[in-house]
Amino acid sequence: MKKAVLEGLLFVVGEDGLSFEQIEDVLDIDLEEAKQLILELKEDYQKEDRGLRVDFLGNRFKLTTKYEHREYYQKLIENPLTNTLSQAALEVLAIIAYNEPITRVEIDKIRGVGSVQIVRKLVAKGFIKEAGRSEMAGRPILYKTTSEFLDYFGLAKIDDLPKMEVIQEEEDLEKDLYNSKYEE
Amino acid sequence: MNVEFVINDFEGPLDLLLHLIKESKMDIMNIEIESITNQYVEYLNKQESMNLEVASEYLVLASELLEIKSRMLLPREKMEEEEEEVDPRDELVNRLLEYQAYKEITKVLKENEEKRSEIFTKTPENVDQYMDEVHGIVSDVTLDDLVDAFKKYLERQKENKPLKTKVTVKEISIVSRRHDIKKILSKKKKVSFFELFPIVTKEYVVATFLAVLEMAKNREIKIVQEDTFSEIIVEAV
Repeated sequence: MKKAVLEGLLFVVGEDGLSFEQIEDVLDIDLEEAKQLILELKEDYQKEDRGLRVDFLGNRFKLTTKYEHREYYQKLIENPLTNTLSQAALEVLAIIAYNEPITRVEIDKIRGVGSVQIVRKLVAKGFIKEAGRSEMAGRPILYKTTSEFLDYFGLAKIDDLPKMEVIQEEEDLEKDLYNSKYEE
Repeated sequence: MNVEFVINDFEGPLDLLLHLIKESKMDIMNIEIESITNQYVEYLNKQESMNLEVASEYLVLASELLEIKSRMLLPREKMEEEEEEVDPRDELVNRLLEYQAYKEITKVLKENEEKRSEIFTKTPENVDQYMDEVHGIVSDVTLDDLVDAFKKYLERQKENKPLKTKVTVKEISIVSRRHDIKKILSKKKKVSFFELFPIVTKEYVVATFLAVLEMAKNREIKIVQEDTFSEIIVEAV
């Protein structure tokens, strides 16, 4: 019975998704049982004659359609994929995701080019949000990614990001100081 | 296979520099600074001769390159107390490597974005009817918070509009409208003229109107109006 209720709950919340805490509270069960229920429901949906699946996106369980059925949805919707993010926006997002929380000036430094507009747009889109202020001079705003960001890229949690490979040459502190006069 | 890139194709000076390094098949760890500086400056000049604006960030990097170049030309001072000589290129190389790493990641993100866009969720159900009557406003919300929230909401609404929308005009042909009208008339025999215009857009109205005229001319339909200002009726013949 509880499994059926859970299914209904997932339907009701839609894209907002459910957290473990919510499942526990609403069904009045403990974490173990909640995990068990989710697992069972997930397995039910894996059957080929089911059209939905239980996905873990942006730290929440969501009922989604199946990727395998995409061609049918494409047929249904005439204009899919019109509004993807620009290369610049992707760069800024990547930099924030791997360094959060981070200030805008630090982002600019890595990209070698200003990012004011892009950061503003990403905030408005809900992919990043302000996360307090840095201790640096001027107390600039810090930014970090949101669960909407994770969901948008089909990620369950921030650790699911691919590993970054930077082959850094050995840093030389003294040289850094020398060069720092070129920075704002 | 000589593809010309204009400056707007690059995300910034580092992007351009990476591109030039790749083009000339240099090892990023061992950049031939003189050659790459010349290429870089030449590229910027070319853009300007094409009347393309070159953002100041590009000039900053140009001056950095020139500075590194000049430092490479100077005989290296043997620094006292320091075991190793400092390569003037190090700082730039590190920045390039870091930038390149993020650029690589964007490819993965792009892929993920595409994949995720093929999966759908639905908007939450409206559960207002289960809500209790108005809860008291939580007391630690100030007017400023509300104003802020509203401003954010407005901004978000603004941003919700896609910046670039592809407007694919759905072709509405007279033929297809004729077909529709025939279908309607085969069911109903008699309809009000205005019932033939369920959608009121310019293209739709024009196509429908032309279809009606054509059909009337071909005597496929009859158009009747009993009195002035009374309803216009379209009948199947």
